[in-house]
Amino acid sequence: MRNAQLNSTDSKHRRKERIDRGIKARSSDIFALSSWREMLYLAAPRCIPIVGCLMLPLVLGIYWQKVLLSVAVFALLAISWDILEQSGMISLGQALFFGMGAYTAGVFNHYFGWPPFLTIPFASILGGLISTVILLPVLRLRGIYFSMVTLIIPLMLVRIVEATRIFGGTEGLSGITPLPSKWLELYLIVGALLGALFGFRRMMGSDYGLVLKAIRDNDRSVMNAGINVYWFKAQALFIASAIGAFAGAFMTHVYMFVGMPVFALDYSILPIAAAVVGGPGTLAGATLGAFILVPLSEILRGIGGLRIVIYGLFLVVFIVALPEGIFHYIQRKYHQFERWVEV
Amino acid sequence: MLEVQNLMVFFENALAINDLNIEVDEGEIVGVIGSNSAGKTTLMNALSGLIIDMRIKEKRRGGERITVYGNILFNGQDITETRPDDRVKMGIVLCRERHPIFPESSVLENLKIAGYLKKRPEVLDSIKYVFDLFPALPKLKTRKAGFLSGGEQQMLAIGMALIVRPKLLLLDEPLLGLSPMMQQVVVDAVAHLKKRTGITVVISEQFARPVLPMIDKGYIVENGMLTLSGTGQELMDNPEIKSAYFGI
Repeated sequence: MRNAQLNSTDSKHRRKERIDRGIKARSSDIFALSSWREMLYLAAPRCIPIVGCLMLPLVLGIYWQKVLLSVAVFALLAISWDILEQSGMISLGQALFFGMGAYTAGVFNHYFGWPPFLTIPFASILGGLISTVILLPVLRLRGIYFSMVTLIIPLMLVRIVEATRIFGGTEGLSGITPLPSKWLELYLIVGALLGALFGFRRMMGSDYGLVLKAIRDNDRSVMNAGINVYWFKAQALFIASAIGAFAGAFMTHVYMFVGMPVFALDYSILPIAAAVVGGPGTLAGATLGAFILVPLSEILRGIGGLRIVIYGLFLVVFIVALPEGIFHYIQRKYHQFERWVEV
Repeated sequence: MLEVQNLMVFFENALAINDLNIEVDEGEIVGVIGSNSAGKTTLMNALSGLIIDMRIKEKRRGGERITVYGNILFNGQDITETRPDDRVKMGIVLCRERHPIFPESSVLENLKIAGYLKKRPEVLDSIKYVFDLFPALPKLKTRKAGFLSGGEQQMLAIGMALIVRPKLLLLDEPLLGLSPMMQQVVVDAVAHLKKRTGITVVISEQFARPVLPMIDKGYIVENGMLTLSGTGQELMDNPEIKSAYFGI
């Protein structure tokens, strides 16, 4: 029966066609904007996160302001994970970067009395450098081997702190100087998040970012183009670990304490979950993921024991139903429309 | 044996195959000849059912949407929506392009993996048969497949497809990347295979010169459309084919 229908070549089939919106084509190619609406189309996706992030501290209550701090920190860690992922390094140990930053800031504040405005930038650089040096020998490893090493190192460092009792041992270092005001805390981390998001997105879109992405796709071809792959990987590693170290250093001054929990597995796993739910490869997806997962985890606190089950179910449903990630999906709907056409 | 009716394949908005009709009779060697981007591999994926898997994967990750229209009939049965693994059980086996072998396993292990669904005596029998067909392989049977040369890998890939004793063998660009001498070895093996077993073969290729003499029927495909068809001899004598593919 079906064959009979198909025998003629002009049989009517319908298929859904996906087409870039006109404004998308104009703005990404010839850049001829002709109306306020078109300018808004371009500006809105950039302005909404900026305005949103700057307004949020003003409208949220004290409890949710603390959650926002946590969201921003996890978003930074997720961005750091995403940069590594885009350079072909799947890290399972963002806690290493976070912990290195946290301990560096804590030690310099506790033993030498450096103020937060010195320790935070200093710890970002030094923490990043130490993490990079620790991971330098494993840069030549690919895939799961690199991941395993990054997973193990923070767990090892916890035991080292415990066994040698350096930097306060299991007690940690307390009495760290806090940041001068709550508002400064909020706007420092939100500003850093926005800066990292837009800055590193631009970086990954530049020729430099292209090289990093090419290393992920085919490192031998990149070597063949006369580029030292390991030098570029080391740079990407330093950038990613400096972001993580900044988040750690910041949190040390927020909690006024640094101890073994900074190497906890949470700081390694949650950023990956955020990046996967939001959509890896864009940095914006990682940020969006953190903005969904961290508050969700807070909301579910009221449920008690089943919290982790529901949280896990949410993750599984998202990963199965929308494997491309929320950000990719939204981006596609924003730039393209669909219509039925006859073939 | 195999009938393709009004096949159309879209990759998102790009039309890869446009209204293609092909007929393959039992025991024939049929050539699908076309240059790069003619739609040969897409046709082979549609015939083997791999396109169904590609369609599902692309849809899930929000990539290009693949749409297939038209019918594929195998022995009178509509298999357009039949899954690739079921098609293998029906006897349609594809040997994909660029010699897809398991590089970390030995030659013998590769052949055993390919025959996983068959009974042990049958597999051993088939392996012997493959070694007969390609005399270069037995010497290499303990060698890791990844260390074989391109030609040897191609022989192994065809051998792997033959292990399950297909009724219809689909060869996607089997001569790709081979030297003229090696191309002749593969072509001779296919001709020998047909003579010995009466198997039906669909071979897609851009090198017309070695393929045309051995095929019973050929289809010339350009930009996803059928432009010419005929017996191997007719195509070889065609002046347009001569100028386009032989450069004379």
